[in-house]
Amino acid sequence: MNCQRITGMLSALQDGELSPSRRQEVESHLRDCAACRGERDGLLKLDRRLRLEPAPLADPFFSARVMARLRPGPVRQRRWLQAAAYALVFAAIFLGGFILQTTGSNGAPPATAISYSAVLQEPQGLGLMAIHDDSLGLFAGERP
Amino acid sequence: MEEANLTDDEVVISVLNGRRQDFEILVRRYSTKIIHFVTRMTGDADEGRSLAQDAFLKIYQNLPYYRRENNFSAFIFKVARNLTLNWLKRQKRTVFFSRLLGNELNQPAFRQDAPRLSPHDQGERDSLVSLQLRLLPEEQRLALVLKVYLEFSYKQIADVTGWSVPKIETLISRARSRLKKSIRLQESGGEAVEQARNQ
Repeated sequence: MNCQRITGMLSALQDGELSPSRRQEVESHLRDCAACRGERDGLLKLDRRLRLEPAPLADPFFSARVMARLRPGPVRQRRWLQAAAYALVFAAIFLGGFILQTTGSNGAPPATAISYSAVLQEPQGLGLMAIHDDSLGLFAGERP
Repeated sequence: MEEANLTDDEVVISVLNGRRQDFEILVRRYSTKIIHFVTRMTGDADEGRSLAQDAFLKIYQNLPYYRRENNFSAFIFKVARNLTLNWLKRQKRTVFFSRLLGNELNQPAFRQDAPRLSPHDQGERDSLVSLQLRLLPEEQRLALVLKVYLEFSYKQIADVTGWSVPKIETLISRARSRLKKSIRLQESGGEAVEQARNQ
């Protein structure tokens, strides 16, 4: 068995994850191979160093903080609720459009249309022109 | 029944039946592990706590989708893993655009210039180990963190990640080998700097 194949299994050996037959194979190779033993010792040393790293400090208020952020009320399958809300909004838009279209084609124009046409007709009357004349008079130094 | 005697699944049922306060039992049971996991993955203790809080909120929202025949530990670690990987992606994007604009961020989690330290300084050496851990590719780091710090079996890691056991074996083996090499390289560099200083 070559050393490259063995070194590939050393990590799993260290984790206790090798099958009994593979473990036996690797262990018997290690007995005869100083280089692979060195590799194994290096991995053991690395794990020791990793575990020496201090764990993050405990936060005594952590669970209280989490509980304070939870939504009040029981947990529900909110995806169905969201889907229903979206469906309702789309239905409302569709219905609204449909109603507007049908009432718009039935003779009398809606009130907004009437007032808009009245504004369009205004410049032809006296209102705007009168304002225009007054402003010219002011610029010429006349008092209203 | 006492809190300690309740199984995770019993607590989940209780929460789903309207006893919202029982969720705190699960938070207390798993918070240390989740914070540890997220902190190792992000390399930032404050971010670890903040992401762990988000993870528990997400877990609470997703409780109705938890299948009781599965193990709860795998369920919550899956949620924590997804949140952490998304956070790491966002950080990478931020660093990328920051570099693009010529405004280098100096965040320890993404700093590529690992400090060359004297191996005699134990405290510094420990931070060197965690720095090198953060520089591992994400999949390798995830597998190694779950194995070394959370002491998960390969099967448990497979439950969290969805990877096959042979893939996990390879990832952990490569992670250890890479970590060993990079630490050795940094320390030999540190020794060279030390010798140059002493001359």
